[in-house]
Amino acid sequence: MNLVALGLGAAAGAGVASALMGLLVPRPARAAAVGLGSAVTGAAGVLAGIAAMTGQTWSMAAPELLPIAGVFLEVDALGGLFLAVAGAVAAVAAIYGIGYSRHHADGRAPQAVLPLFVLTLLIVPIAASVGTFLVCWELMALTSLLLVLTEHRRRAQVGEAGRWYAIMTHLGFMAILIGLLVFTAQAADDTFPALRAAAATLSPAVAGLVFLMILVGFGSKAGVLPLHAWLPRAHPEAPSHVSALMSAAMVNAGVYGIVRVGFDLLGGGARWWWLVVLLLGALSAVYGILQAAMSTDVKRLLGYSTTENMGLVLVGVGASGLFASAGNTVLAALAMAAALLHVCNHAAFKTLLFLAAGSVLHATGSRDLDALGGLRRGMPATTAAFGLGALAASALPPGTAFVSEWLLLQSLIQGLPNAGIATSIVLPVAVAAVALTAGLAVATFVKAFGVGFLARPRSDAAANAAESPATMLAGMGLAGVACVALALVPGLALPLIGRVAGGIAGTQTAPATGALTIELAEVTGTLSPFLLTVALLAAAVLVVVALRVAAARPRRQEARLWDCGAGPMSARMEYTATSFAEPLQRVFDNVVQPVQDVDVTHYQESRYLVQAVEYRRQIPDRIERRFYEPVLLAVARWGRAGRRLATGSVHRYLGYGFYTLCALLIALVVMR
Amino acid sequence: MVLSLWRKIRRTGRVAEPAPPPPDAAAGPAVAELAGSVQIRHVDAGSCNGCEVEIGSAFGPVYDAERYGARLVAAPRHADALLVTGPVTRNMAVALRRTYEATPEPKVVVAVGDCARDCGVFAGSYGVAGAVRDVVPVDVEISGCPPRPEAIVAALRSLTGR
Ligand code: SF4
Repeated sequence: MNLVALGLGAAAGAGVASALMGLLVPRPARAAAVGLGSAVTGAAGVLAGIAAMTGQTWSMAAPELLPIAGVFLEVDALGGLFLAVAGAVAAVAAIYGIGYSRHHADGRAPQAVLPLFVLTLLIVPIAASVGTFLVCWELMALTSLLLVLTEHRRRAQVGEAGRWYAIMTHLGFMAILIGLLVFTAQAADDTFPALRAAAATLSPAVAGLVFLMILVGFGSKAGVLPLHAWLPRAHPEAPSHVSALMSAAMVNAGVYGIVRVGFDLLGGGARWWWLVVLLLGALSAVYGILQAAMSTDVKRLLGYSTTENMGLVLVGVGASGLFASAGNTVLAALAMAAALLHVCNHAAFKTLLFLAAGSVLHATGSRDLDALGGLRRGMPATTAAFGLGALAASALPPGTAFVSEWLLLQSLIQGLPNAGIATSIVLPVAVAAVALTAGLAVATFVKAFGVGFLARPRSDAAANAAESPATMLAGMGLAGVACVALALVPGLALPLIGRVAGGIAGTQTAPATGALTIELAEVTGTLSPFLLTVALLAAAVLVVVALRVAAARPRRQEARLWDCGAGPMSARMEYTATSFAEPLQRVFDNVVQPVQDVDVTHYQESRYLVQAVEYRRQIPDRIERRFYEPVLLAVARWGRAGRRLATGSVHRYLGYGFYTLCALLIALVVMR
Repeated sequence: MVLSLWRKIRRTGRVAEPAPPPPDAAAGPAVAELAGSVQIRHVDAGSCNGCEVEIGSAFGPVYDAERYGARLVAAPRHADALLVTGPVTRNMAVALRRTYEATPEPKVVVAVGDCARDCGVFAGSYGVAGAVRDVVPVDVEISGCPPRPEAIVAALRSLTGR
């Protein structure tokens, strides 16, 4: 029996049914019905995806289903991987959404759109013609936009975030459209097999143009520099389970697009393509995590961290393309496997982190780390979840990201000996960038967890926070299990991912083997995350026991906490997220360029007595300022100029039409 | 920058006074336990800051108290000895007592200056709670207003025994 077809059929059925339920079921049961339905949709997607990764295929051609373009679907191993990841994230987020949306988003529209969004996430990686792909891509953008706007009545910033997202995502769509249409014009028709056949006949210039256009388009979806501006805006304002879906599943579609078109349809291509991808990835990784380290809004921080992780993935993809163009397919497969494993890992921990952040938002109404703290007492489960997610994201053993970043570094380092000049400059830089990113990620997540959850509460809302409902905890629990599994026994997923990567790079050798201990093919490198974790745990237990024994010798004494003799110590004396990041900000002053402002007001009687001091600090996104502000200003100026043409006189408008038609006819006559 | 600093160091050479002979009398029973290394927390309990200037010069390059094993630290939790200056003002009485409690055993209290010994020129003032010995037990007293750095160094050497 074809599990792929079964899974996809079930997903489609469940998705459409839950969308209908979102419209028809009355409010009290709506969230539960839609959540369960969407979870089934996602789970069916996982089934189909895993079946596809193990080698089953399935395809469907329905030329009449859509006018002109038709619908063509085909599931292969690469599509299966992204299908499975999207399905898993969707299943977890949907379960969480049952409890979460009861207070935030149980209107008809968001509930009906959620399953549709999940469905488009599942279909994008299996679309097999340009028409189908673009339609699904646009539907994915529109449904996610609607979901971002869920709470626009409650907060004005939501509308602003939605506008940014809509414009950026459509600019990206335009770029993809242009790229794929130029490509299709050289092919027999718009199905992927026809494009594959046409790729060999493309001139390098056209192929390069196509690749650049799709890189811009897919890069904007993946949140890569400098097209990341929508990410830190849309993620904080969307409901948290939607943030998780977007940040853990939707951005992957950008990576999927680059791999699909670059490797599969265009068949590899020139070396400079992949150098560009690698450099963009490295820049995004470092810049993203730097901005995350400076953020005090926890969801904004997570949004920037998505830019970072997609950057790391692109470093892997770029390295893979580089090795493939140099003819080293095994190494290419290794780099690709690292990138794809990081996609899975990122999906797992980012889902967990966004869901935990949503749980905090649900309980306290605040995303500001400086106003949180002390959540450990009121929300132990959420605290544990966020702590696990923070560990997973920090690229330290026994974290989840550690395994994939280790693989990535291995492939980059091993790639050095057989490199040309450009490559041998770029690869060490990439290694340094990945290492710097890993270090900054540790600081970022120590800050987010330590300031947000430990110590004492800094506001009444944080002090009175209570644990979230069971469905939300269940969602976080599932994501947590995925994180732990990927961290301890990546050998479960790695053979499948290695097959996919090998398929892309064109080699039969599995780049990494072994269940408990990962062994790399052709290069020396072994890692056993499980044994490493056991050793770490044993060492930790040993240290704790030794400390206990040592401390028990002279009996412990109760003593007053040293508070400089003054006291009592209040929560205002704690480290805040801002003060924690301050030393880091000083180090990177030239890069982040913070804007500081100190206003001192004196008493009228004397200049020596201070009445009030006001301190403001802002860390604007510098790239945004440099790249976006000039463009926005130019657009505004253009709009003002355009207004002069539209005076409101009907005669004038008729005249425009007349003259344009005449000019067109004259042009046609002259050109004939 | 660094080069000119090096040049200055080389040109100036050593300015510390030659070390006088070591003290013969040890101050109190704690001294043996401290074994020649005394970490000191300075507490300004209300001084006019004259004593601080002299403490500063006692730890400066000329008198260099650190070569005898005495060292200033930033918290009583790290300290073996308290160096208290000034009369204890009412604002500082509780803080001084807490500082004393926060210092781990074995501990020594040194009262620096006439104010610390018997309130000096501030005796009888409305803001003064008393001399240091009225608030915490004192082991060593250094007289003078302010005491000379030599006197401070000598007192510290009686703690380190070096
Ligand atoms: S002893 Fe003299 S120098 Fe020291 S605090 Fe008192 S008044 Fe000032």
